[in-house]
Amino acid sequence: MKALAEAAVDAALGAGASYADARAVSLRRQYVVTKNGNVDDLSDTESEGIGVRVLVDGAWGFAGSGRLDESAARDAALRAAEFARAAPGRHQTHLAPVEAHTGVYRTPLERDPFSVPLTEKIDLCLRAEEGMRHDEVKVTVAMIRAQHEHKVLVSSEGTNVEQEIYECGGGIDAYASSDDVSQVRSYPSQHSGVSGQGGWEYVEELGLDREAPRVGEQASALLRAPACPPGRTTIVLSPEQAVMQVHESVGHPTELDRVYGTEAAYAGTSFLSPDDLGSLRYGSERMNITADSTTPGGLGTFSFDDEGVPAAREAIVEGGMLRGFLSSRQTAAQLGAGRGGSMRADGWARMPLVRMTNLHLEPGEGSFEELLADVDDGLYLETNKSWSIDDKRLNFQFGTQVAWEIKDGKLGRMLRDATYTGVTPVFWGKLDAVAGPEEWTLFGLTNCGKGQPGQEAHVSHGAAHARFRDVEVGVSA
Amino acid sequence: MSRGLDLAEAALRASGGDDAEVVVHAERSGVARFAASIVHQPTLIENAVVRVRVARDGKIGWAATNRVDSGGFAEVARRAREAADSARPDPNFLGFAPPAHYSDLGGYDEETAELGAADQARLAAAAIEAAGGIGLYGIYTSGVTEIAVASSTGLAAEQETTDAVCLCLAADTEASGWSERTGWRAADVDPAEPAREAAETAARTRGGGELEPGTYRAVLEPVAVADLVRWFSYDSMGAQGFLEERSYFCGRIGEQPFDSKVSIADDALDPANLPKPFDFEGTPKQRVPMIEDGVIKGVVWDRITAARAKNGQVSTGHAPPDAWRFFGPVPTAFDMAGGEASSSEELAEIVGDGIYVTRLHYLSVVDPRGGVLTGMTRDGTFRIRDGRIAEPLVNLRFTVAISDVLGDVPGLSRDRRLVNLNDLYDERFAHAALVPAIATGHFHISGTGSGPGL
Repeated sequence: MKALAEAAVDAALGAGASYADARAVSLRRQYVVTKNGNVDDLSDTESEGIGVRVLVDGAWGFAGSGRLDESAARDAALRAAEFARAAPGRHQTHLAPVEAHTGVYRTPLERDPFSVPLTEKIDLCLRAEEGMRHDEVKVTVAMIRAQHEHKVLVSSEGTNVEQEIYECGGGIDAYASSDDVSQVRSYPSQHSGVSGQGGWEYVEELGLDREAPRVGEQASALLRAPACPPGRTTIVLSPEQAVMQVHESVGHPTELDRVYGTEAAYAGTSFLSPDDLGSLRYGSERMNITADSTTPGGLGTFSFDDEGVPAAREAIVEGGMLRGFLSSRQTAAQLGAGRGGSMRADGWARMPLVRMTNLHLEPGEGSFEELLADVDDGLYLETNKSWSIDDKRLNFQFGTQVAWEIKDGKLGRMLRDATYTGVTPVFWGKLDAVAGPEEWTLFGLTNCGKGQPGQEAHVSHGAAHARFRDVEVGVSA
Repeated sequence: MSRGLDLAEAALRASGGDDAEVVVHAERSGVARFAASIVHQPTLIENAVVRVRVARDGKIGWAATNRVDSGGFAEVARRAREAADSARPDPNFLGFAPPAHYSDLGGYDEETAELGAADQARLAAAAIEAAGGIGLYGIYTSGVTEIAVASSTGLAAEQETTDAVCLCLAADTEASGWSERTGWRAADVDPAEPAREAAETAARTRGGGELEPGTYRAVLEPVAVADLVRWFSYDSMGAQGFLEERSYFCGRIGEQPFDSKVSIADDALDPANLPKPFDFEGTPKQRVPMIEDGVIKGVVWDRITAARAKNGQVSTGHAPPDAWRFFGPVPTAFDMAGGEASSSEELAEIVGDGIYVTRLHYLSVVDPRGGVLTGMTRDGTFRIRDGRIAEPLVNLRFTVAISDVLGDVPGLSRDRRLVNLNDLYDERFAHAALVPAIATGHFHISGTGSGPGL
């Protein structure tokens, strides 16, 4: 793979590129899904190819080929250069400097998830499903996934790095229904479960079968729970919902390509401007957000991003003030600050974009119970169900699978169909407590969409329970 | 390309006599993505994915690869076989689809197929030029997609299609407008048209004002209608959501919750859409009425969900591409009947007092069984006063029950627009909705968001 990437870069330079990089990628994914006691999906897919990115007269070009041979690599380079040369517009592309690196990274793991027999994975899924069976639960689903990505990045500036990344994860869902009501309860998350970088031990630690009886019971109970009433109240977000809040209302708006408008037509832009760096109050003093591509077990953990920039831990929001953006070498140069480090591509056939790596809400102090103790009347919101935010990442509305009344500092009865809504900096300004490190949990999501053609990034977020005052809840049609 | 069926049959031979089905999904495409009137992310892709599904003693496993040589075929067959051997018998598997006759529906255009990188860049430049002084953001893309299915039942199906799409957002810091064109002939997609329309809309959005939350009458342009119907369909118009009781249609077949002017079918056989003769199991596609004259008629099916129904239901030809398999069968060629109105302006007259919505953003399903969605408007939201499109508004958050929006439809446009539904994730699978603009008596605004513009 290294020789092919080098050949592609040579071909690009020969075709007039002032800069070129090539990523040779081999990707394997495996899914085991059971539903209602049957094997629903047992799949094993692989994809390999090379993606070549070039700068010609300041214009980018990118071409991917699904063949890993020298002629395909060279051909992709030539096609990328042709596209760059034809690109209309006045192009001025500058890249923040990066030292040329060589190196190798491999996910630390105890047990290769692909070495685990499929039958063992099926058995775990079926056990978890069995545990979710409950009155009125009509559908149970259990899923386990594994991924192995081997990629080599070579650039015309001398970068030559090889990375081998293993992911695995899983999740369970119970769907209950009666009459005209349908409810779902999931663990650890609705969005294809959760994943982490690591080996099979990550799946074992999730305890899917351990949590299954609670999930089934709660799905059934939701059918009889009263709907969340409208109003304004104090809310406490579970760590899983808090990471969704971070993802949508901090992660995406701090992507510097969105700030500069290059995602405007599809995913949208950002309410932030480059001038806000260091001066914009994003939230309360309790709000501390860190981008950390070195987090152990994170889906956004690597030694080098897809431009060859080394991994790092950097503040994005500190004490409620905007301190950093997620950037590429190009956007960092445009800003005149930062170094890049967030460029990631979905496989070989897509151009790298500014993406989240691992973005965390840093913990505060105290336990979950202590957070609740200071709430006379409020809601505890658990497990994301719906999510929507405007094109500048200001107005958002989230729904959760379950809500619990908080009365006099204690959890009370269960509510269904809970929603809450707000405007990003106003909402984060109402953050008055984050639970301590003992409550902090890392969640890995595999469905973060962006770009045209579309790309799905795998990102992780850590958070503990977070409390917000005076929030509008119970939005309905 | 035109070698999809050869690849499928070669992979089938490599499966060693097992009951097997092979799907080849190949593309050659280019996307000239532009922002601020500059092409900044041009992407060229050439790839072919071969998926082998094997049945052994009623147990199913599948594997996929993009290594399209004998070594790749042998390895993918081995992995599929290993998966099948590890599985449990699937009581809902009734065998792979039998051979069938497929109609020639068109959908392939040689000129479109021949467009290369320089052409895609040139056509993007034509859009940028037509937008005038305002910045243009979006894509011009064209591509060739080939889907071939071969199986041990003797089934052999292949279709080569082309598509061209131009999506245009004209915007500056205070204004934004949207328009788009889609077709299977590039000649039908003049990039200057959506660029000009987007710029004209943008020019009218400066100074967008606030709006009190509440329920309004509204005009929804075709792009907004398509997005709303698409998101409603994920749980409600496919067999999986229906069987698993998440669909709004559950228990309502034969009822009329929608306005009698509302009829929505899925019709991939219509050459005015992006035609497709068969699905990803090789089953011939059927036109499926889902809502007819306001009455709920049914959902779309593939072979697995049809078997699960245990009532004699057959596949309607809606097995999805691999990447969507967890959704089950879903409509991909919406066909919504038009009405009598000659224009969106006439629909505004019908509405009288309300709001005008060009495009929606970031929809999400709040309550699938209740058919409740939320999202934002963007890139052309206006007040309607005295039957005329009036002052611009900021982006609005809506939270709506589809039965409310489509339950009171005082008018639809006669003309329909083919709206792109392909977000270009995974392998290229062009699909679209042929829909009119509509007037609705019930569009619930639950909040306000950012103003128009970047």
